[in-house]
Amino acid sequence: MIEVKNLSKVFRKESIEVQVLQDVSLSVQKGEFIAIMAPSGMGKSTLLNILGCLDKPSSGEYILDGVPVQDMDDDELSRIRNEKIGFVFQSFHLLPRMTAWENVILPLIYGDSDGDLKDRAVKVLTSVGLADRMDHLPRELSGGQQQRVAIARSLINNPRIILADEPTGNLDSASGQEIMKIFRELHSSGTTLVIVTHDMDVARQTDRIVEMKDGRISNDRPTRSPVEAAI
Amino acid sequence: MRMFRMGKQALRAMIENKTRSFLMMLGVVIGVATLTMIASSVLGARAEVMGKVEKFGLDQIMIMAGAGRKPGVPQPIPTTLRVEDAQAMMSEIINVKDVSPQINRRDFLVKSGNKSSYAIIAAANPNWESVWNTSPESGRFISSEDTAKFARVAVIGKTIQTDLFEDEDPVGKQILLGNNPFEVIGVLEPRGTAVSGVDMDSRVVIPLSTGQKRVFNQDYLFMIKVALHDASNMSQTVEDIRALLRERHNLQKGVEDDFTLVTPTQVMNIASKLSTTFSLFLLLVSAISLIVGAIVIANIMFIAVNERKPEIGIRRAVGARKNDILAQFLMEAVSIALAGGILGIIIGLAGLKILSGFMKLPNAIMWQPIAVALVSALIVGLLAGIQPARKAAHLNPIDALK
Repeated sequence: MIEVKNLSKVFRKESIEVQVLQDVSLSVQKGEFIAIMAPSGMGKSTLLNILGCLDKPSSGEYILDGVPVQDMDDDELSRIRNEKIGFVFQSFHLLPRMTAWENVILPLIYGDSDGDLKDRAVKVLTSVGLADRMDHLPRELSGGQQQRVAIARSLINNPRIILADEPTGNLDSASGQEIMKIFRELHSSGTTLVIVTHDMDVARQTDRIVEMKDGRISNDRPTRSPVEAAI
Repeated sequence: MRMFRMGKQALRAMIENKTRSFLMMLGVVIGVATLTMIASSVLGARAEVMGKVEKFGLDQIMIMAGAGRKPGVPQPIPTTLRVEDAQAMMSEIINVKDVSPQINRRDFLVKSGNKSSYAIIAAANPNWESVWNTSPESGRFISSEDTAKFARVAVIGKTIQTDLFEDEDPVGKQILLGNNPFEVIGVLEPRGTAVSGVDMDSRVVIPLSTGQKRVFNQDYLFMIKVALHDASNMSQTVEDIRALLRERHNLQKGVEDDFTLVTPTQVMNIASKLSTTFSLFLLLVSAISLIVGAIVIANIMFIAVNERKPEIGIRRAVGARKNDILAQFLMEAVSIALAGGILGIIIGLAGLKILSGFMKLPNAIMWQPIAVALVSALIVGLLAGIQPARKAAHLNPIDALK
């Protein structure tokens, strides 16, 4: 699903160059559920932005769903984001003046979809357990509920991959667990998920943990040994 | 479909921020309101003038005795313009259809019993009726018999009728023109106010012969009104008449005309000059308001772009292209400007309605000023929105999401 080869990212600020990613190679298979772990400022957000086609690598290759995207222009990348990628952010990033269902259909506004958009929003919101919060504004919802709206938004276009940046970072542990439960359900129904986190409790619930340090991948291992997994 | 959905989002943004949207609109509202009022009153005035000129007759020329005369401005009159001049025009210039030689006198005291009024006396021949396109609505007009007999008969205008007789039927009654008793034989249909501001219904028409002999005691004329066969040949005919009159009046080369030719075009020019200066000033006011309106919208849009960075980031993350963001902010600016435009038109038309209570303004709503106002609002929106929208579109989505 994701094939990243020798990816580097350099930020220039005035005359100072900061190498945020160095020679990162990573491959994520369809249906995998992985966690990228790193201390803050160690390049994990940059990697996620590149994986999400919000940012371009300075060098290296990125093949998403069989298509090389590193050389695409802005419009093409926007289309990829719209059709193939669902984002979930730490601070939810809902539009404050729009109701839950209106937030959910936001990606559809920029796509080619026709028909009753609300119908589709209702289905997805029901699947994340918010059927009765459809017409609420974000401020009328709890943090966990807001994040579920955000997940519904990321799912509305049936993306190939869900990218989540610290999705439980702003939530209490109970709400965080609810979100992880939804992710696990999505995973078991075949969705590919990549979570960036520094919370080991979150990472443990995925299949595979990729650890980063100083812009490089320092460790890449299955969460449980094959034996554990078998049990 | 996509554009329609995005347009809906732009309208929402405007409605969600009512106070801010209203403040953004204010300049446009003022600009468009004044623009609507100016354009409506100028166009209305022009339409009114055109209407009057048409009544005056687009195929007619007036020859006034004396040089450099303007309609409605009193001046000493030379004695050179004669009935024979009128006859000569009739027989020598092919395009002349009819001529009405006249002696006119303004502010002439007219009495009946103990009531009095001031009239414009027109001593004229029976063809005055067709040349001026004004017929009696009751009674009859002067006949050639009246002219031949120097009859003391008068056809009076509506204003004179009202002043002297109120609701009574004046036909057959006596009136005094100065000290001369006249019999009222008819009442002219109402004609309203002329371009020059003269009340056309204060006219009293008497036979030219009677006027010459019994009232004014003069054989020269005040004016000749000429009706043409072919109005498109106006300027040539004007030159022919001028040449003929100069020859008949023995005017040497270099000597000024002792008469004035007035054409419908000149009448229109006089009328439109009056309103031009005033409307130019108001136009400047509305242009300044629109520019200020555009600056206000642009500034608040810049602030909005800064405040709404997260929103822009979110939209970009879920697939909005740069052009989608550009279109969204542009549509917001345009819909605010257009809403301001519509509000301005409503206020402008209401203002026009109120002002028409104090001064003479046309009442009819015309589509041209409204179209002009809406197009100006649209342009203001586009001009004001383009830079902020570009800024929004070119934000780096990653920075916007931070």
